[in-house]
Amino acid sequence: MARLLIPAVAIALFFLETEFSLFSPIEFSGENYYLVPRFLILYLIFLSIYYDRKKAMWYGLAFGVLNDIVYIDIIGLYTFLYPFICFIAGSTVKYIHQHLVVTTTLSLLLVALLEILLHQFFFLIGYTDIGFAEFLNQRLVPTMIANSIYLIMLGWTFKYLLEARVLEKANQSIL
Amino acid sequence: MPHFLSNKRLLMLLVGVILLVALISYTLSDRKKVSFPEQIIKDTVGLGQSFVAKPAGYVTGLINNVDELINTYEENKRLKSRLEEFGTLQAQVYELDSENKDLQKLLDKKSDLRSYDPIQADVIARNPDQWEEKLILNVGSKAGVKVNMAVLTTEGLVGKVIQATPYTSEVELLSTNNTNYRVSATISSKGKQARGLIEGYDAKRGELMLKRIDSKLKVKKGDKVTTSGLGGIFPKGVLIGEVTKVTTDDFGLTKLAYIKPAASFQMLDHVVIAKRQAVQVDGSDGDSTNKDLSNQGDDK
Repeated sequence: MARLLIPAVAIALFFLETEFSLFSPIEFSGENYYLVPRFLILYLIFLSIYYDRKKAMWYGLAFGVLNDIVYIDIIGLYTFLYPFICFIAGSTVKYIHQHLVVTTTLSLLLVALLEILLHQFFFLIGYTDIGFAEFLNQRLVPTMIANSIYLIMLGWTFKYLLEARVLEKANQSIL
Repeated sequence: MPHFLSNKRLLMLLVGVILLVALISYTLSDRKKVSFPEQIIKDTVGLGQSFVAKPAGYVTGLINNVDELINTYEENKRLKSRLEEFGTLQAQVYELDSENKDLQKLLDKKSDLRSYDPIQADVIARNPDQWEEKLILNVGSKAGVKVNMAVLTTEGLVGKVIQATPYTSEVELLSTNNTNYRVSATISSKGKQARGLIEGYDAKRGELMLKRIDSKLKVKKGDKVTTSGLGGIFPKGVLIGEVTKVTTDDFGLTKLAYIKPAASFQMLDHVVIAKRQAVQVDGSDGDSTNKDLSNQGDDK
């Protein structure tokens, strides 16, 4: 059961991301604030920590390519970044305590890293001319707030689902 | 030190990086045609999105309604003050309209840059990372959508089509930072017209920049800006916005005007693609080829 749920959730989150971005940017006292939904990569980071790094990287690659083709039209950007983030997340498993609070913080830090890398890339190729301070105010901070709300709400569900899958697998290997 | 990467793995990593950089640099260049596998993927994902977009569209509609409800009182006051002018204006418009039609008939002028066939479209997704201002619509080339067509809401121009697959199309909004994005525009103040090109968006002011206006012509704050129809594909007379500030440009040769866009770029859920009825010329508008395409229409 959990086995089928894992990719299903990933696909659902992929679609939800684009729908939630329809609500952004939000105008507040004359300034635009961008909320970038990062549902999928947060889920993949959890997948990488609680389940399997290699699988998470494959998921990252597949959804990275999809994201690049459908939205960005620069193939290779998310294709690299998603597996890269999953790789880092999976590599930390040995060094950190797998408590939900710790993993949530770690995931949010990794998403911040992703955002910064993307800003640097788009700045480099001239798609944007906003400086780092503005990026921090208009994008990074609101994005992190929105995503932490999301993760606090759903993080435990992901953990529950992934642990159920690990159990399922363990039972199968016994049988 | 333990072997972190074996030789085989290192080689694979290197090849991967080279491939990636090659792919990025290839796809970064302005591609007008979408390759076939990309088309299939885009259409499939688009199909999924159009299902998910239904509830999302409902929620954006609801938020917009609440937003309107909050502003009702002020809006009502403002509209009442305008209502008196409206009656006389309407009479004038009818008169001018009928006169215009008669004169056109007299001249035997059939095609008009103004007229267009509207293609209704729903927004099914927005580029999630929002670095580029892109929307994805649920209609594509099967419905007659072509690259460079104008995209409007009831309030005014919002952007143009940059890519069309059979069942989806991609729109780049006016608020983009893309330097190759130009829209030919007309500023009309009392009786006189000035032309210019919309090039670039000032993110800090939240306003568009209209450049290359002849410095001899007078442009005032409050003048209305519409599309000129001279770009080849856009219809004429679509409202873009209102002039808020006029300065000279970097070199002091031409004028630069800041324009407050009439349409809001937020919470877009329903748009119209304008398919011009007059002959369409796919000129160098937005397509940075710099080729001379002005004589192609005659050859074909």
